[in-house]
Amino acid sequence: MSESRPDVTVIVPVVERPVPLVALYREFSEPLKQAGRTYEFIFAAYPWYRHLTDALGELSAQGEPVRLIEVMQSVGETALIKLAAYSARGAVLVTLPAYLQTEASALPALLARVEAGADLAVVWRWPRRDSLINRLQNRMLHLLVGGITGGRLHDVACGVRAMRSEVVQEVPLYGEFARFLPLLAQREGFDVEEVQSPVHPAAMRGRVYGPGVYLRRLIDVVGLLFLLKFTEKPLRFFGLIGSLLSGLGALLLAVLFIQRLTGQPLADRPILLLAVLLMVLGIQAVALGLIGEMIVHLTASQRRRYRVRSAPRRPARPEAA
Amino acid sequence: MPVAPDVTHPRLSVVVPLFNEEENVALLVAAVRDALDGDPSWELVLVDDGSTDRTAAVAEAAGSDPRVRTVRLARNYGQTLAMQAGFDQARGAVVVSMDGDLQNDPRDIPRLVATLDSGYDLVAGYRERRQDKVLTRKIPSWVANRIILTLTGVRVRDNGCSLKAYRRATLERMHLYSDMHRFLPAFAAATAGARITEIPVQHHARRFGKSKYGLSRIFKLLADLLTLMMLAWFRERPLALFGLPALLALGLGVGFLGWSAVAMQRFRLEVANAYVLPAAALLWILLACYLLMLGLVGEVALRRARELEPELLPIAVERPA
Repeated sequence: MSESRPDVTVIVPVVERPVPLVALYREFSEPLKQAGRTYEFIFAAYPWYRHLTDALGELSAQGEPVRLIEVMQSVGETALIKLAAYSARGAVLVTLPAYLQTEASALPALLARVEAGADLAVVWRWPRRDSLINRLQNRMLHLLVGGITGGRLHDVACGVRAMRSEVVQEVPLYGEFARFLPLLAQREGFDVEEVQSPVHPAAMRGRVYGPGVYLRRLIDVVGLLFLLKFTEKPLRFFGLIGSLLSGLGALLLAVLFIQRLTGQPLADRPILLLAVLLMVLGIQAVALGLIGEMIVHLTASQRRRYRVRSAPRRPARPEAA
Repeated sequence: MPVAPDVTHPRLSVVVPLFNEEENVALLVAAVRDALDGDPSWELVLVDDGSTDRTAAVAEAAGSDPRVRTVRLARNYGQTLAMQAGFDQARGAVVVSMDGDLQNDPRDIPRLVATLDSGYDLVAGYRERRQDKVLTRKIPSWVANRIILTLTGVRVRDNGCSLKAYRRATLERMHLYSDMHRFLPAFAAATAGARITEIPVQHHARRFGKSKYGLSRIFKLLADLLTLMMLAWFRERPLALFGLPALLALGLGVGFLGWSAVAMQRFRLEVANAYVLPAAALLWILLACYLLMLGLVGEVALRRARELEPELLPIAVERPA
């Protein structure tokens, strides 16, 4: 290809409640243009969003650097981002949700931060002027995630971020974990920085989701907890649960047995069932942990479990607390 | 005429994981250089385990000597993975690991290597006159060593001493993860069939910096040891691992059924006897089925892993018949 590489590729995974894409493109490309940056936009979308993506044709007819990747099966945001990143030509990648989270002025600021040496820069929506309901939900998510990770990031839920392309390549991403990309990148030892930017005026209104959405978020967070803490040592997790359960069961059995010795009949006491059930559950948990350990061991030689830092890009400095 | 050191194919690699040891690094490099003065072919692999001080800078400065190399990990991965990273980088036929805090004495290295050459795969050092606090270090360490000896049967009196020598072939057959460095000889015996011996080594009190271990956590140790014992006995036959407990559970189920039969004979169909005991019996039988199925899952995992990467053949020597 003869054209030179743009400064930045903006990846827009079209998944949740998308807004009209042409307006999104115009709003978010404007500050990049003003900052004198070259860019391309890649929209990754499913065929059932044609009513939105068809309008992109008029943009590219006008010579705007817009590309569309259509994915034929529902694969989730993570896979869309990875697919788009695979064919991105920009030196820096930006992910931008197809709905309005933050003001467009955030993009040049993020880009500048990555070019100054950060591996990933993410928007911290601050000050929050949006509805109390939104802020409350955000707060809850952070309490949950912060409890797990130590909470070094202020805005985990924000999907507007800029990064070096190696971040997407080297952070193990699958399932719904793109949502937690900054956290996972931090864990891989990448230098993650935050850029404050106000909430987009269109996102001020309070939004309440269906119960299914909250349930899915909760499952995502539990998955994250397991991923961060126990994927290398499943027996510590299942073993703890299992030994607690079967310990309780064994204790109950012992009490029942002693009572039997003192003359109380055993066979007609339904609590015997509970005792046996607890022991059975506990043993099952430990057995699951052992299978997990076996899988970890069997694949240990095939996995890269640590990342070596390449040549330093900037002088060493103490890690941000 | 002195022989020029062979830097690319050393015979001996010394691997030292470092975490926040800026005062110790330069002294360490000098001490290793002095100790191995007579050896024409060695290299020193320093692994910076995501230090937050100037450890990496000091280590890289020491790299003016071509025999000293530094690997910088992207974050703090802990001692086990730091050691594994060093082992992966080491090029020598013999590899020696030691702590970066100068409590081990590099002058013991030639003796370790000589012992290894006399026909062992792993030589562990043990600290004869240990210079550490009794309550917080020596007693937990004694307890841990007792537990490890009792459960694994591998006779090493000081698992906590990092100063050890290994053959390359042994290291290629073991992939460290979790906290496996805490009982590395037992791990090597279980997964690589290593012939192990131990020799006394020197131990100095800490000069700079703080000790990185606290009281070891017994539960984690027990969980890891359970994993290790599973690997030692059932690595190649997961179905047996779960089949034996399954038989036990089946026996309990049959026992409970028999008991309920007897109870019903003696007391004439009382409701409780007719339900509680058979229900408990069914729970045990359920557990047996579940364990058997897990064993089958284990077989699938084993087969998949071997398809992806055939295991290295075990170490063997031919002896005169």
